[in-house]
Amino acid sequence: MKDIFADFYNKVLGFFRQSEKKENAKDVACNRLRVVLMQDRTNLTPELMERMRKELIELLSRYVEMDKEALELNFEQEGDQMALMLSIPVLRAREESEIEKELAALDAEKAKKEEEAAAEEDVEKREETSQDGETQEEIIEIVEAEPVDKAETSEGKPSDEEKVVIEEEIVISEPENEKEPKIEITD
Amino acid sequence: MSNATANPSVSDEKDKKGETMSGRVIVITSGKGGVGKTTTNANIGTALARAGKKVVMIDTDLGLRNLDLLLGLENRIVYTIVDVVEERCKLKQALVKDKKNPNLCLLAAAQTRDKTAVTEEQLKSICEELKKDFDFILVDCPAGIEQGFQNAVAGASEAIVVTTPEMSAVRDADRIIGLLESKEEIKSYRLLLNRVRPNLIKSNDMMSVDDVVDILSAQLIGIIPEDTGIITSTNKGEPIVNDEKSLAGQAYNNVARRIIGEDVPFLNLEEGKGIVARVKKFFSNLVGKEK
Ligand SMILES: Nc1ncnc2c1ncn2[C@@H]1O[C@H](COP(=O)(O)OP(=O)(O)OP(=O)(O)O)[C@@H](O)[C@H]1O
Ligand SMILES: [Mg+2]
Repeated sequence: MKDIFADFYNKVLGFFRQSEKKENAKDVACNRLRVVLMQDRTNLTPELMERMRKELIELLSRYVEMDKEALELNFEQEGDQMALMLSIPVLRAREESEIEKELAALDAEKAKKEEEAAAEEDVEKREETSQDGETQEEIIEIVEAEPVDKAETSEGKPSDEEKVVIEEEIVISEPENEKEPKIEITD
Repeated sequence: MSNATANPSVSDEKDKKGETMSGRVIVITSGKGGVGKTTTNANIGTALARAGKKVVMIDTDLGLRNLDLLLGLENRIVYTIVDVVEERCKLKQALVKDKKNPNLCLLAAAQTRDKTAVTEEQLKSICEELKKDFDFILVDCPAGIEQGFQNAVAGASEAIVVTTPEMSAVRDADRIIGLLESKEEIKSYRLLLNRVRPNLIKSNDMMSVDDVVDILSAQLIGIIPEDTGIITSTNKGEPIVNDEKSLAGQAYNNVARRIIGEDVPFLNLEEGKGIVARVKKFFSNLVGKEK
């Protein structure tokens, strides 16, 4: 298990902190360019990236105590697929009871929200029947307020007090405009 | 395609025999400025004309015209594209014939006007009209992604994206490719890599051709080496393809032949090492790493 972590860790270091090894100008250029193009192509503004980072921290903090400042979130090319690489220095694994407590609190909150939403929906429906339509938009909003998927706990809990890096890889398929070249110019 | 013809089989016939011309409109664009669009235009245009094709080049870089200089035609320009759209002259009157090659013409940009003097629609109809008389209409695009770019692309159905192996140029090329892909009229585009310096690639100080092709996942149409001859040829107003001994000239000639449809292997810039000839193996290992 440790080997896997170490391997991942090195891979990420190799990719994003080339300066540690002595890298040539060409590789640095290629890697920097790949990363920046990933961002250009996703239409994710720096603000949105920051928001995604914050949300991920919030989510993951329920399971592990991590170095929030050191969390790295980057795009990487994996063949013709784009990967979102998340590297989190873990400070301490949380006690099981601790995690469960958090999750229970979260579930309770979700249940409460759902109830509220259902109640609201009832009201909406009643309004709708009385007013005839016009409330479409609001209903959509309620649908969006559905509970978030339960995140899976990462496999293998790192031992206490040890600083390990967990790697999560979220593979996104290429954005709509596939970068496949179109028809050839000739013919 | 001439959608004026009712019977599709008839139009096919004509395409093959080339009787009723329906020229190909190719825009040469880049995003980043100064990477060699105009140089490419002048050289490909000249090479195609030397190969017996009827070619017209349109300079759409209003206010910053240069194509006339590269061709040595600056003293022959009477009317410009703006005179055509403002109906001070007929389209044919504004076409300037090349000094050497009667197959080659230039429709110059106006030097005193800005991008707003010509609209997308006007460029489209100019291209449509020229298609009847020419095999190739090459459109020289201004730098950037604003109106000048939109205008230049408006009448085209093919594009050549010029870039150099530098990060900023490649990034801008990626942007342009994204824009081209969103345009329905553009049926195909290919990449031309200019100012390639084999020595720097060999020493791993510069991205290799395969690196750029791989990063952009675009199809390659040409690799042009850095060549001081391009500067002297520009000074003389004489495209470098006319100099058969020049490597850049040969490379541009090869691009022209590929446009016509010939299968021409890529020039071996790194002598005897068999690089970059693998047009179809874009995603294979990066050759630059070998040495
Ligand atoms: N392969 C090459 N080797 C050496 N110099 C080159 C090469 N290609 C272009 N140049 C030089 O680079 C400069 C810019 O070229 P050019 O005017 O063709 O670029 P451009 O993309 O049309 O620029 P702009 O965006 O301003 O229209 C010129 O001085 C030209 O001589
Ligand atoms: Mg130019």
